[in-house]
Amino acid sequence: MTTTPKKHMGLKAKERLSNTIIYILLITISIVWLIPFIFLVFESFRVESTYQVGYVVPKQFGLDNYINLFTKTDFPIWFKNTFIIGLFASVIQTIIVLCMSYTLSRLRFKGRKLLMNVMLVLGFFPGFLSMIILYKVLSWFNLTSANSVPGLILVYVASSGMGYYVSKGFFDTISRSLDEAARVDGATRFQVFTKIIMPLSKPIVIYTILTAFMAPWGDFMFAKYISHATSAGMNVAVGLQYLISTPQNLSAYYTMFCAGGVLVAIPITILFMCLQRYYVEGVTGGAVKG
Amino acid sequence: MARVKLTDVKKVYDNNVVAVHDFNLDIADKEFIVFVGPSGCGKSTTLRMVAGLEEISSGTVEIDGVVVNDLQPKDRDISMVFQNYALYPHLTVFENIAFPLRLQKVPQEEVFKKVTEVSEILGITEYLNRKPRALSGGQRQRVAIGRAMVRNPKVFLMDEPLSNLDAKLRNQMRAEIILLRKRIDTTFIYVTHDQTEAMTLGDRIVIMKDGYIQQVGTPDEVFDQPKNLFVAEFIGAPKMNTFRTNLIKENGEYYVTPFGSKLLVDGLKGEELKKRKIEPQEVILGVRPEHMVLGKDADNDIDAKILVNEMMGSELHLHVVTNDNTELIVRVPTVDLSHEERAKLTSGNEFHITFKGNVMNFFDVESEENLLN
Amino acid sequence: MEKTNNSKNISLFDDIGDLDLLQLTKFQTILYKIIHFFKGIPNGVASLFKYIFSLIKNFFVWIKNDLTDIVQTFVNGDYKTKLSFIIMGFGSIARGQILRGLLFLVFEIVFIVYMYVAGFHWLGKLPTLGTELPGTAYDPRLDTYVRVDGDDSFKCLLYGVLTILFILAFIYTWRLNVKQNKISEEILKSGKKLKSAKDDVSSLLDEQFHKTLLALPLTGIFFFTVLPILFMILVAFTNYDGAHDGYSNLFTWVGMDNFNSLFNLNLGANNLSVAFGEILSWTLIWAFFATFTNYFLGMFVAIMINKKGIKFKKIWRGILVLTSAVPQFISLLYVSKMFSANGLVNGMLLNTGIISDLSHIIRFWEDTTLARVMVIVINIWIGVPYLMLIVTGILMNIPADLYESARIDGANAAQQFFKITLPYMLFVTGPYLLTSFIGNINNFNVIYLLTAGGPDNPKLLTSAGTAGDTDLLVTWLFKITTGAESKYYLASVIGIMIFVVVSFLALIVYNAIPSTRNEEDYS
Repeated sequence: MTTTPKKHMGLKAKERLSNTIIYILLITISIVWLIPFIFLVFESFRVESTYQVGYVVPKQFGLDNYINLFTKTDFPIWFKNTFIIGLFASVIQTIIVLCMSYTLSRLRFKGRKLLMNVMLVLGFFPGFLSMIILYKVLSWFNLTSANSVPGLILVYVASSGMGYYVSKGFFDTISRSLDEAARVDGATRFQVFTKIIMPLSKPIVIYTILTAFMAPWGDFMFAKYISHATSAGMNVAVGLQYLISTPQNLSAYYTMFCAGGVLVAIPITILFMCLQRYYVEGVTGGAVKG
Repeated sequence: MARVKLTDVKKVYDNNVVAVHDFNLDIADKEFIVFVGPSGCGKSTTLRMVAGLEEISSGTVEIDGVVVNDLQPKDRDISMVFQNYALYPHLTVFENIAFPLRLQKVPQEEVFKKVTEVSEILGITEYLNRKPRALSGGQRQRVAIGRAMVRNPKVFLMDEPLSNLDAKLRNQMRAEIILLRKRIDTTFIYVTHDQTEAMTLGDRIVIMKDGYIQQVGTPDEVFDQPKNLFVAEFIGAPKMNTFRTNLIKENGEYYVTPFGSKLLVDGLKGEELKKRKIEPQEVILGVRPEHMVLGKDADNDIDAKILVNEMMGSELHLHVVTNDNTELIVRVPTVDLSHEERAKLTSGNEFHITFKGNVMNFFDVESEENLLN
Repeated sequence: MEKTNNSKNISLFDDIGDLDLLQLTKFQTILYKIIHFFKGIPNGVASLFKYIFSLIKNFFVWIKNDLTDIVQTFVNGDYKTKLSFIIMGFGSIARGQILRGLLFLVFEIVFIVYMYVAGFHWLGKLPTLGTELPGTAYDPRLDTYVRVDGDDSFKCLLYGVLTILFILAFIYTWRLNVKQNKISEEILKSGKKLKSAKDDVSSLLDEQFHKTLLALPLTGIFFFTVLPILFMILVAFTNYDGAHDGYSNLFTWVGMDNFNSLFNLNLGANNLSVAFGEILSWTLIWAFFATFTNYFLGMFVAIMINKKGIKFKKIWRGILVLTSAVPQFISLLYVSKMFSANGLVNGMLLNTGIISDLSHIIRFWEDTTLARVMVIVINIWIGVPYLMLIVTGILMNIPADLYESARIDGANAAQQFFKITLPYMLFVTGPYLLTSFIGNINNFNVIYLLTAGGPDNPKLLTSAGTAGDTDLLVTWLFKITTGAESKYYLASVIGIMIFVVVSFLALIVYNAIPSTRNEEDYS
């Protein structure tokens, strides 16, 4: 037997072996990553008990948890709250962030670099630090506890200008000579903004609106502090955590918590999957590439 | 259609870098002026100061007698064609050209009339409904020109408009710009780094280096009477041959002695040298490749050996080397050569060079200024 | 020419020229770089101080120049200018810019009224933060004792600071007013016209467009970020807590006491600095592992999926992305409960007989080391999909001919990874790693929702409450604020320390890595 065919087979076999190993790894990874969610879904349909058990597949399937979630807990209120916050926050926040990132990207003025450096340094402070005084002041205006929704909206949008990096990165990719051509053609800076740049910015506008909408659904820290243990003011994160925060609550509401988790996960996950193209573009085009 | 006057215009950036020094130029109405020079010489910066896209650090720019330093671009009545065309990607070709008119709230019929007029001149009527991304480079360039034309500006500014096109297209567009100039009889300021464009398009050329104007003149003037070494080497391709040699005076006549030769400075240049009583000195001598010819007098001509010959079609470019290893380029037209003469012009062979007085350019060794300025 | 063999007598501690550097082996080069990095630190620190010093010097020079300018404006100005020093806006109105003048004037009036009515009062309270305790008084109408409000320290501090800011704003506006006068005089002298109100408004859409766009965002940031942070920094110098909340009981300035107790290394019980030290070190360790495990594992997975010959790429990526699309709090809370003492995992272990009885259940969240490991592992589960997405995006951007050229030169897969893929990755994701690291230092959700900081560690018990072995500085801050005693001043101190740590790290990394120049420069 000559050596050449052997060598040739060796290369292919080696590749097939490494590919097989990779497939096995990938399948394992996929299973491991998905397991908790599979468990979560199963547990949400468990009827025979509401506390934690040692098995996954329910002995009895039913929609009890889902129904109880709506009738026995304040979940509908939490869901409504979070939805309203998301709606208002997304619109207002988008406007603010776009104004900020557009200005920093395309307008040149004295103090621009200083402004960006100051905001960078401000970002080094833990965000929660400002909560203490904000809570106090908001409570003077009755925007906390049961009235958390407007209070939270205010907190989210007011400082949202600091989150300009991704949008700015996007604007930076539009050639400056478009602005200059328009100005030579007779446009004011305002007209450049509305007639030229905005029509070209659909991707980033959509991205900003959707991320701003999704954020309140996952905020725990601020929402918890402002709602201050008043159920009527909680968002879904704080509310669901409350459902399992004490041992008594845990045994009574665990499966309802699972149902709540599923209900919140579905819409957000769908939104994120639609968004992921923009997310990668935004992060790699802006923040990551620098 | 306006006169443009730049007086002591200077541009200094925040970090104290001076991009343009004391620029003085008087551009006549309807003149086609070209700013030319290597990268970073300040030509685009100066153009942008005229346009209003860069702030003028000091000095004044006047358009049609009005000082425009504090005016926004849109109030200066100028148009500009950008290097990368800067077409609005989300608008059709029609809307791109119409954009400036729409900003002035011109009524629709007039907009239609003007845009179609311009697109006919430029030959882009069939693209009016397309978006820029569906057009080729040359077509986009025309749309950019159309957008600039449609406003009938007082001054037409062009910032390296042909740099993004391939060589063949560039030649074609150059000819079209000359035609365009005839049709829109207005003042043009054109920026390029390509000296060929400058020479073919400009009524007058402004050569810049490191923020300073080196020379202002017609193409003939800068070609025949370069003010300094930089201009001499920048204008003309292949580059002018320059080398150090001695200018001597013998029996009332001037001679130059490069590479062991002795060549008489005859003709008008010789007269000029005598009239001005120029001292014999070491000089930098410049002679263009096309002005060097095959010599017949072996004793007094320059001896050289041929390194390479490039066949350019109607002429040969000979790269030769002298006895002290200086390389020169000589352009030899092939039309009148016999077969034997042609055969002799190959690598390794000897070549004798001579040239007349009126093609010689003398530059001061230190200041690099032309001695006969 | 003599040839000198100079490779023997070079000490790595000396500065070596570029050409000679090439003679060193790989190991020597790395050693050299490390030595010189540390050697450079004193220089770096010295130049930092020089920079700060020059900033301060420039500040004073600027103030001196400004004052000179003000005096000159007064001396050289006409009567309109001189009067404007007292009546703001007079000059503008007198010169025909009615709108501007009125705005100045109104501002001045508002300021004076405010200061008279409330400003001086609050300024007076600032040094003491209030002296009158609330008390009771008899109300004849209700025939009972009712509460009489005393000074509210919180309001004293807040309004005192606001008053000072208002004063600063007034000084700035007054200075602007003076400058306007000077500029207007110059413009009129040179024969030009002043801008009319219409010009001003239309310039807001053009030259001043940035002001229009930034007005709303900056106002929000100022009132909701800058002001609170300023306030909280001041709180760090008070004794504001649940017991001294200003309303029912006053709080006051305590100077550097809080900071002293933080750094006081007396090893008694309830020691704050011990707790701080422990929590800080865990925070840094956690941030390091959290960032780099995710980074390299994410890269590994991305490269695996991206490999030629692997099918169903979209499905593998999709599954991973799906898991990170679910809101984090759900994932974290569920997994936290899954591993609890009577949770799903232990239950399954019991049911399948792997564990014999209840005494052998694995206390995932109660053993310090196990809890810390679990936290890092779960964080990997959460974070790898994000990293995989980003790395995939970058991988697709590496020019293919780099790899082709390497293959022709004879590089195998591992070499290609280390010499092409990895360096390119690190270069592009440098800034991202930094922000990721800083983000993990402040990663509240993962820690709090998984363990609430636990298991509690009695050694970390302080006057501010309990703390645990997985607590980060930021979760500790949260506990202190929401705990029974609500030691707000302590929270401020810790917040400031977090800031110091983060800025310090950011500065080092920012200057050490060349690719973190995050600003494009258009000429």
